[in-house]
Amino acid sequence: MPLSVHGLRKSFNGRTVLEGVDFSVAAGELVAFLGANGSGKSTTLRCVMGITAPDSGSISIDGTALETLQGRDLQQVRQRMAMIFQKIHLVPRRTALDNVCAGALSRIPTVRSLSPLLFPADVQQEALDCLDRVGLADRALDRVGRLSGGQQQRVAVARALCQRADVVLADEPVSALDPHAAEQVMALLRELAHAEGLAVAAVLHQPDLALRYADRSIGLLQGSMTFDLPSTEITADHLDTLYAPDRDVSDRKSAA
Amino acid sequence: MTPQILTPAVARRSPSAQTRVALVRPKKPLRWITTAAVAAVVVGLHAVAIEGTDFKPALLVDGWKGMAAFIGDAFPPDLSWEKTIRPGLEATLVTLWIGLLGTTLSVPFALLLAALAAENTSPHRLVYQAARSVLSFFRAVPDIVFALIFVTAVGLGPFAGVLALICHNTGVMGKLWAESMEEIDSGPQEALRTAGANRIQQVANATLPMVVPQFVGLLLYRFDVNVRSSLVLGLVGAGGIGLLINQSIKSFQFDSMLTHILIVLVLIIVVDQFSAWIRRRLAA
Ligand SMILES: Nc1ncnc2c1ncn2[C@@H]1O[C@H](COP(=O)(O)OP(=O)(O)O)[C@@H](O)[C@H]1O
Ligand SMILES: [Mg+2]
Repeated sequence: MPLSVHGLRKSFNGRTVLEGVDFSVAAGELVAFLGANGSGKSTTLRCVMGITAPDSGSISIDGTALETLQGRDLQQVRQRMAMIFQKIHLVPRRTALDNVCAGALSRIPTVRSLSPLLFPADVQQEALDCLDRVGLADRALDRVGRLSGGQQQRVAVARALCQRADVVLADEPVSALDPHAAEQVMALLRELAHAEGLAVAAVLHQPDLALRYADRSIGLLQGSMTFDLPSTEITADHLDTLYAPDRDVSDRKSAA
Repeated sequence: MTPQILTPAVARRSPSAQTRVALVRPKKPLRWITTAAVAAVVVGLHAVAIEGTDFKPALLVDGWKGMAAFIGDAFPPDLSWEKTIRPGLEATLVTLWIGLLGTTLSVPFALLLAALAAENTSPHRLVYQAARSVLSFFRAVPDIVFALIFVTAVGLGPFAGVLALICHNTGVMGKLWAESMEEIDSGPQEALRTAGANRIQQVANATLPMVVPQFVGLLLYRFDVNVRSSLVLGLVGAGGIGLLINQSIKSFQFDSMLTHILIVLVLIIVVDQFSAWIRRRLAA
């Protein structure tokens, strides 16, 4: 398994946010995370990426547990995971190509990464190939700020590809996009999984996107997993349990 | 019984709404005493300050004749080309060059110190504190003091002015740049960190390109300020039109002085309009 996670726990200031999350993502698979706001979806991804330190739990990449590694070795294994953000986090003033090249920074000597003019030619070629894979080779020299939201998110995916990641974690990659662009980006993520064998996990705000694009969906409810099923087996009841607490609260408020 | 849903309109009419919520302000009997004490202290400070600065408006009234004579001597301005206007224009150019070099030559130092003095780009807490202290020092020492020091080192003339501006401007611009870096969206930097980029790579490829517009705006603002400062630096011997104005006052050539001041006025308006124009274009 490219990515497997066991017993992930995390609390902030004594408040438990994740109470033992277990899941794995296989090569060639797109897995969706569903859950109400605050259920711990982002925290799960951030713990896996190492942005947030989990209290306990084990994270393995291709069977190698990260907690057994240190320093350079740990960094090299982490390198194989890339993150896609809801807010995209590209540099708007730079070209799409320069932004994608930045995914390869860990392979570029520091002096040659001080300016895009110094980026090695082979990195630039690889970045262009990555842009081609997301269908944006023709916009390579456009500033990212001039691209649409959907195009920007595809550039961010290309940056993850240029990082040579084989595990891609996406936190609400399409929540800020219009419906058409959202479909495009979801189709791209599915294609990267199915056609190129990447392991992709995406937090999704809209269950219908998960049901249509994801091979498997995982439900999180207040830091615990309520289901981990092929998307075809997800029923309205499953979804109700996830989003019901929200409705309970609002019912109580209006009836009081 | 079905639970009744309370809409705001229902709530207003329902009997329970008649038990109204009262706003209870805690009584603070000491408040007016505090206010009076603060007022007394402020008034007292001003009294001491007026005493300490020999602030006597009457002197201004008595001395109006002297001022009138001074201004009378200055009119009409001396418009002779060889004696006044040409040297004035040449010296004004020198003033402009002092302001320009003082601004641009401080860029490398300001950039380095800003990167070390911004929380999100500094490599270490100690480096951060050290860089902040260096910037504070250069900011706290006025450019005119630097000018006096450099005049003793390199002699009277524009070079001392350039050196003085480099020092002071490094402190001010470094601080302003560090602050704008701290305010920038940290997302792109975090994205590159998760991609395995090291600190320098993160700064060079996310933080710096994100703040370029702010940096250029602040640079132009400082250029504007520095051109005006270099006028004053001229008065203490650091070259340019300020030196000329000083000389014409000392030799009682007030009509030349007025001409020089008018030239300065034009310079300041031009520089101000120029930097405002560029900043507008940047914002668009
Ligand atoms: N850095 C943090 N400090 C304190 N609490 C946090 C932090 N990050 C997340 N939380 C809390 O953890 C819970 C889960 O957050 P998150 O994982 O972002 O939820 P989701 O992405 O599912 O909406 C929320 O209640 C949130 O307030
Ligand atoms: Mg979230």
